[in-house]
Amino acid sequence: MTDIVAIIANGVVYGSIYGLVAIGMTLIYGTLRILDMSQGSMVMVGGYVGWWALATHGVNPIVALVLAFAFTFALGTATELVSVQPLISRRHEVDFELVTFITTFAVAIFLTNVALQHFGPFQQNVPTIVGGNLKLYHGVSISYHELTMAAISVILMGGLGLFLARTRWGLAVRAVAQDLDAARSLAVPVTRLYPLTMGLASALAGVGGVFLGALYFASPTAGDLPLLFALIVVVLGGLGSLTGTLYAAYLVGMTQSFCEVEIGTTWTLPILYGAILVILIFRPYGLKGSPSEVRL
Amino acid sequence: MSAALTVRGLVAGYDRSVVIDGLDLEVADGATAVVIGPNGHGKTTLLRAVSGLIKPFRGEVELGGERIDGMAAEAIAKKGVVHVMQGDGLFVEMTVEENLLMGAFPGGSWRGRRAALKRVYSELPAVEERKGHKARTLSGGERRLVGLGRGMMRQGRLLLIDEPSLGLAPVAIEAVYAVIRRLRSEASSAIVLIEENFTHVGGVADVVHILEAGRIVRSGPFAELAADRTVVETYLGSIAEAPS
Repeated sequence: MTDIVAIIANGVVYGSIYGLVAIGMTLIYGTLRILDMSQGSMVMVGGYVGWWALATHGVNPIVALVLAFAFTFALGTATELVSVQPLISRRHEVDFELVTFITTFAVAIFLTNVALQHFGPFQQNVPTIVGGNLKLYHGVSISYHELTMAAISVILMGGLGLFLARTRWGLAVRAVAQDLDAARSLAVPVTRLYPLTMGLASALAGVGGVFLGALYFASPTAGDLPLLFALIVVVLGGLGSLTGTLYAAYLVGMTQSFCEVEIGTTWTLPILYGAILVILIFRPYGLKGSPSEVRL
Repeated sequence: MSAALTVRGLVAGYDRSVVIDGLDLEVADGATAVVIGPNGHGKTTLLRAVSGLIKPFRGEVELGGERIDGMAAEAIAKKGVVHVMQGDGLFVEMTVEENLLMGAFPGGSWRGRRAALKRVYSELPAVEERKGHKARTLSGGERRLVGLGRGMMRQGRLLLIDEPSLGLAPVAIEAVYAVIRRLRSEASSAIVLIEENFTHVGGVADVVHILEAGRIVRSGPFAELAADRTVVETYLGSIAEAPS
């Protein structure tokens, strides 16, 4: 019973943060058909913004989160302008998905090395957003930091859902994902929408980075593991499916949590990637994906 | 009367292949021009070149006297060109209402979206009944009506309608054309409507143009062209009694 409570509590926490990082990748894949490999470095950058704001300047945690959101939003927008926008007009001549996979990966490597140059190969401690623990059951407890992380992740994902379902620009993002020509003929400015979409996705990862920085560290490679998990989540969820991404995020979170409690932490990634292999053989489009071009 | 649309010497196509080859066309403000031609002779290409979805190779396109050729589709749409695309161009994973709302996306029309929605629903009660359904689940006729409804969400200067009868059952075609006839009499925008033959367009055409191999080869009032046996036999289509 203690194990079960621990597995579920940690699984929900992990699932929420993976969802937050992965849902941005899904959004980008749905609208742009790009598997954005720079998403992990946005987690890393968010971690450094958190460290800079909380550890060296001691600002209010909410301000730190807003700063991380704003900074990674700008960085994500810039990433799109540099690594994607020049290729859009040539998307019919080049293998767009593959080329942008590589250009966004190049941005990721660039950012990692900028961090390495600037901050050195050290792990910086990022303070937690809130202190203290919540005792759940017979020695199982969960930190308020993790609870806040899960709650804010869920709120941000819900906010994204509302944005896409209810607002003019949210509808436009989905419209572009489903029929580019029709969206253009309705005056949707796609050349402005793409950078904003990537900025938004990056900002969600950046906020996740502040929380993850406190759980682990801020370091130049802090984005690598989140990227690996996010990749599992988006592929498992069926590339481009938002609800599929949510299911997959919590499934991956629960699996990781189960491995840590029952088997051993080192088994988490082998088991997850083994599972994804088996699932994709039987369901090539993931849990909620569809063979059609139409997503989001 | 000034011209809503003027096309001069238009050359357009895809990649290196020319489909529209030196086409001239003028549509007066508020008038309805029907362009008839066989498949593969450039009807859809003409509309796509006007609305900016493809860039013309050469020639001029003017909207109300202003050059729009070479502009991006987004910019042309903002200037008041409403394009009801072939195959409807609906966002299939969005609901009918969300599809309609996208029709009010351009600039200032978003503020009037509630009123526009109400107006479209009162014109198209069949569409209102399905407003919460995803576009994917609609029948072909319903989709066409939603496509037209989306075009009615804002007041454009020029409405382009691409083969509204394509692939529909006769009953559905009649419903679609009933809407087009109302649009023509109520809306102030000029209309360019494309069809493969004469069958349905009698009640809506102010002028009929015949498009062949990328050019307009004949123009005239519907009655004149429809009375010409060689034209009718060439372009198939029986001539139904023009509905009033």
